[in-house]
Amino acid sequence: MKQGVIPDQFTAPFWSAANESKLVIQNCSKCDRLQHPPAQECGQCKSGTNLEWKEMSGKGRIYNYGVVHDCPIRLLQDDQPFNVAVVMLDDDPGIQMYSHLPGTPADEVPVGAEVRVVFEETANGQKVPEWKVVT
Amino acid sequence: MSILISFDIDGTLEIGDPPGAVTLEMVKTARAKGILTGSCSDRPMSAQRAIWKKYGIEYDFVCYKHLLPDLKKQFDAESYYHVGDRDDLDRKYAMRAGFGFFWPDEAAKNPLLL
Amino acid sequence: MTTRYAPPSMYRSREGVGVWEHRGKVAAVGVGHSPTERRWDERPETSVGAWSIMALRNAIADAGITPDQVDGLVIVPETTTGAFWPEDKALPQDVIEAFVQTNDPLDGIAKLSVDWLLKNMPELTNINYSLYAPVCMSNALNVAAQVVGDGLAHTVLVLKAWHNLQGRYYQGGQNAQDAIGGTSAMRSLWGAPACYGTALQFAEYCHKYNKNHDMMTPFIINSRRNGLMFPEGYWAQHRPEELTDEDYQLARWIAKPANLFDNDIPIMCAASYLFTTAERAKDMKQKPVYILNHADSDAVPRGLTPTLDEVEAECALTGRKIYEGAGITAADLSFENMYDGFTQFHQFHIEGLGYRGIGFGDALDFYQTDISIEGSNPVSPSGGNIGSGRSRFWMHTDSIQQLQGRAGGRQITGVDAEIGVSGGPMPLGGNYTVWSATPD
Repeated sequence: MKQGVIPDQFTAPFWSAANESKLVIQNCSKCDRLQHPPAQECGQCKSGTNLEWKEMSGKGRIYNYGVVHDCPIRLLQDDQPFNVAVVMLDDDPGIQMYSHLPGTPADEVPVGAEVRVVFEETANGQKVPEWKVVT
Repeated sequence: MSILISFDIDGTLEIGDPPGAVTLEMVKTARAKGILTGSCSDRPMSAQRAIWKKYGIEYDFVCYKHLLPDLKKQFDAESYYHVGDRDDLDRKYAMRAGFGFFWPDEAAKNPLLL
Repeated sequence: MTTRYAPPSMYRSREGVGVWEHRGKVAAVGVGHSPTERRWDERPETSVGAWSIMALRNAIADAGITPDQVDGLVIVPETTTGAFWPEDKALPQDVIEAFVQTNDPLDGIAKLSVDWLLKNMPELTNINYSLYAPVCMSNALNVAAQVVGDGLAHTVLVLKAWHNLQGRYYQGGQNAQDAIGGTSAMRSLWGAPACYGTALQFAEYCHKYNKNHDMMTPFIINSRRNGLMFPEGYWAQHRPEELTDEDYQLARWIAKPANLFDNDIPIMCAASYLFTTAERAKDMKQKPVYILNHADSDAVPRGLTPTLDEVEAECALTGRKIYEGAGITAADLSFENMYDGFTQFHQFHIEGLGYRGIGFGDALDFYQTDISIEGSNPVSPSGGNIGSGRSRFWMHTDSIQQLQGRAGGRQITGVDAEIGVSGGPMPLGGNYTVWSATPD
């Protein structure tokens, strides 16, 4: 079970959208450039005045993965070993998200496979984007 | 009845870092009772062998903790136990491998070692 | 004394800026170390403050000067290996009473300020310039070289110290909580340990170049062997255990494809170096080691973790900056001491350097050849973090000692020690120093 999430002011739109089963990513409207994790300013133009949240298609591909056998987080230790994959979004492959790939056995990850976003509850009920392999 | 006991080193044996509650005399006592003994630790296996040699104690095996299932296949015993000080790396690996488990202070009071 | 972090202008981050303006005019002379320990036993004499003082005094003595000749300090104020003093735990009173305190009760225990050092080292009577460098000795060395070169101080002590507290690595604090803040959660919710990002890059590397984890074995064994000849190091001092093929290849995964021995062991220790001008160095006790260049990598990945493409591009750029500023080529390197704490960094660094002519994808094959200190292609003669524990400074001590001819059992013998390079840590985000036995 993932730790719960306590949204802060900065990331609240991301977590609120997740609770509505939507994936939003921070975007600089001036540069038309997505960035994740969100930051106080655009990584390209360095301005913080044009940042917005943009809804994504929820489609991506598995770029790479590792298998975690010795996790520092107490709530996840019972689940070891588990996959932590890097998913690149179809909307912009430069945007990466981590995933446990629910339903995919540890170390049986189809790199390059198509994935779709799902939303999974964490320990305190906050939903978080996760990704499932499209079969 | 054949018994196998695997000992973690650090936090478990008196010579570990940190030292644990299980003395080398207890290990020798277990061996004298015919129990199969050895170590199962994160220390390099070559270093585990060197430790037993340094203290002049015969051993039946050295092993890494995550290889306890392989150890079980190698030795035909009726009971298998692992002694260790960590929940995630000793107790859980032992449980998954079908070993009984003792914390070091429990083992130090167990008749098998006394 | 007010001390600030070194400004960006002190770092050589760009390509195309030519040979370093102070090439060969700054030298390292003294080296000072503390002992090592796995964790702090909470005695005053083994605190990070006490060991910092010891390292500084040892560096002064090693250089053969008096403390009043030192006029500058460059230190790393952060000392944590990942361990933080628990908020609900009282500080040991005997430690507090053993030292002159600053306003911060953790000073000298879980962090370090210039003020704390000056209050507790009254013999440093002439310090008139100080700077902080973030996180690593590699960074502090770049700053100190520039400070001396620019004439901001002429005899500078550089210091990095590490504390490691009781308890398991990274198992407390936020990681033990049932819920975490939204910003942290963006990265940490999935439970990836520290080596995960590097393991990912290594997985991609193996896939791209058709390599495998077992091919790292000679590098691991070589590093531990060299480390066991480093009397200042943790493994040499506490657990002189060599590693075998079996030891490495059967070890448990932390984040596959990184296993236990691909990770360095967090320890307590401190080290200091004495930097001065090439002119003043001539009169000091040890042979001067001249600095030909320092270089900085400040790249930021686009996504959560750098891709292999980003790593290779940045390592290649770093290699070019290192050579350009030093006015040398790869062929001039006698040895390399690039970072290894995770082991899987090392091949990226040396491929970026083009060490001994290797290119991207070649390092693991190179590891299958003679990479020992006795051969003509020594790899990591210091043994690095894998050989001596997490300090991120063994590589610098070794580079200086190799060029002074006093690396003891680690002294390279298959090639003359004339020019070496050390630095790290990350392929995206590191600092590098080029060292030379001669100023030109």
